[in-house]
Amino acid sequence: MTEPLLTINKLDAAYGPVQVLFGVDMEVYRGEIVAIIGPNGAGKSTVIKAVVGLLKSRSGQIVFDGRDIIRLPAHAVPRLGIGYVPQGRIVFSHMTVTDNLEMGAFLIKDREQRRRSVDAVFAQFPRLHERRQQAAGSLSGGEQQMLAIGRAMMLDPQLIILDEPSLGLSPKYVEQIFEQLEELKAQGRTLLMVEQNAARALTLSDRGYVLELGRNRFHDTGRALLADKAVRELYLGGR
Amino acid sequence: MHLLEPVLLLQFLVSGLLAGALYALLACGLNLVFGVMRVINLAHAELMLAGAFLTYVLYAWAGIHPLLAFFLVLPALFGAGFYLQRLVVERVVGKGELQSLLLTYGLSIILINTGLLIFASDFKAIPELQGALIVGDIAISKPRTAAALLAIALTLGVYHFLKHARLGKAIRAVAEHPDVAMLCGIDVVRMRMFTFGLAAAMAGAAGVMLTMIYSFSPETGADFILKCFAIIIIGGMGNFIGALYGGLLLGVAEIFVAGFVSSQWAEAVAYVLLILILLIRPTGLKGAADVT
Ligand SMILES: Nc1ncnc2c1ncn2[C@@H]1O[C@H](COP(=O)(O)OP(=O)(O)OP(=O)(O)O)[C@@H](O)[C@H]1O
Ligand SMILES: [Mg+2]
Repeated sequence: MTEPLLTINKLDAAYGPVQVLFGVDMEVYRGEIVAIIGPNGAGKSTVIKAVVGLLKSRSGQIVFDGRDIIRLPAHAVPRLGIGYVPQGRIVFSHMTVTDNLEMGAFLIKDREQRRRSVDAVFAQFPRLHERRQQAAGSLSGGEQQMLAIGRAMMLDPQLIILDEPSLGLSPKYVEQIFEQLEELKAQGRTLLMVEQNAARALTLSDRGYVLELGRNRFHDTGRALLADKAVRELYLGGR
Repeated sequence: MHLLEPVLLLQFLVSGLLAGALYALLACGLNLVFGVMRVINLAHAELMLAGAFLTYVLYAWAGIHPLLAFFLVLPALFGAGFYLQRLVVERVVGKGELQSLLLTYGLSIILINTGLLIFASDFKAIPELQGALIVGDIAISKPRTAAALLAIALTLGVYHFLKHARLGKAIRAVAEHPDVAMLCGIDVVRMRMFTFGLAAAMAGAAGVMLTMIYSFSPETGADFILKCFAIIIIGGMGNFIGALYGGLLLGVAEIFVAGFVSSQWAEAVAYVLLILILLIRPTGLKGAADVT
């Protein structure tokens, strides 16, 4: 059996004195889409922040590609091959679309190579190409989210982590974002995502984890979780 | 009285711009630090004086001309700012205004008293560059022109760097979303060190210019820092180029008031402008949205 690309092992995490994660376990294999769902405040974003190094106070193991990264500072994480799409479609609003993507490729010193990376993302998101000279702050919410995803893909990461990619978008853009995620899946990329739109996320995902109060609650294939009575009642609107 | 003669108005305008350029250079650095890390550096004018005294020492002890000292003072202050950020200022980033004000206030007191210990409170000056250029009917002071041109060139140079260079853009990214910048692989602590170094170098450059046009003592900073606060609010808090406009505006306004009213009143102009701006346009001339 192959090793997982990402293993989270007995992860505890806290904000100051307040512990919010209690021994969380997760695995992500190459080529998989994995969803984390759960009620508000369950600790979904916290798991992600711990993995990418934004949360200092954590213990346990986070093994990526065979290496424990739990002590790594956040700015060293992209180099490993992890792309991060933060919650709330955060872009550098005063910079152009192109400059935002260039920031995603900050680690590439060679200008030509950076440009090739930008072009590759433009090929995937023609919409961004149309708006390349526009300030990112002037884009629509959906376009900003595409830009945030594009920025996370600039270094061609092995794993893309997305925190609530469809949150706060109009239905039309939610549709577009999920189409983009389908597209990433078709390309064989590895995705770990948190999503409040649990039904859609599980439909797309190979596997899912349900978190509650900072602990693992359920864990199964996306399809099995969708069919599970308890999960349906608790997290999928009870239908 | 011939106060409304065009020649005189032009003379005021030119003198005002020349004086304002120094304010602008100083205030831009202050505003850059605020824009990037939300720290108001109360010791910023003391960094300028560090540059001025360094220039003075180089001149008095080694006979180095202030314009040459420029090339030594700039890197020296950059280095000092770089490590000051790492060792001291970084600790208060993101901790709220009070902590950063207390820290930088302490820093300014340490610097002032160190200056007093070494140089006492006498005023110093370097009477190296003197005289005036006569252009048409107006006279332009040579040292002020040299200082102003350097100040403007430096300010625009840093602006261009922030706007277009890869590192400059990274600094703006750190200013807006430090967490996301980190996950683009940007070492935000290092970027803030670089930013503080840059601001200190600009202050040091203003110090070199100060030696050419004013006399100064270790306590000269107080006048300047208060005016700089007015300038960054007038120009837009955290907006680099806004401080350039604000500085030039203040320089011109002061000279006009000194000419038409009295030089005592000129000292109050900064605060009158400040109140006017707060009434008319509280975000400042350029708004406070972006570093550039
Ligand atoms: N910066 C913070 N400081 C202190 N407590 C925090 C912070 N961020 C989150 N928390 C707390 O940690 C717990 C988990 O929060 P987290 O953001 O991980 O939840 P989530 O599952 O992502 O929820 P949501 O669906 O609302 O995004 C919550 O109780 C929250 O109040
Ligand atoms: Mg969340």
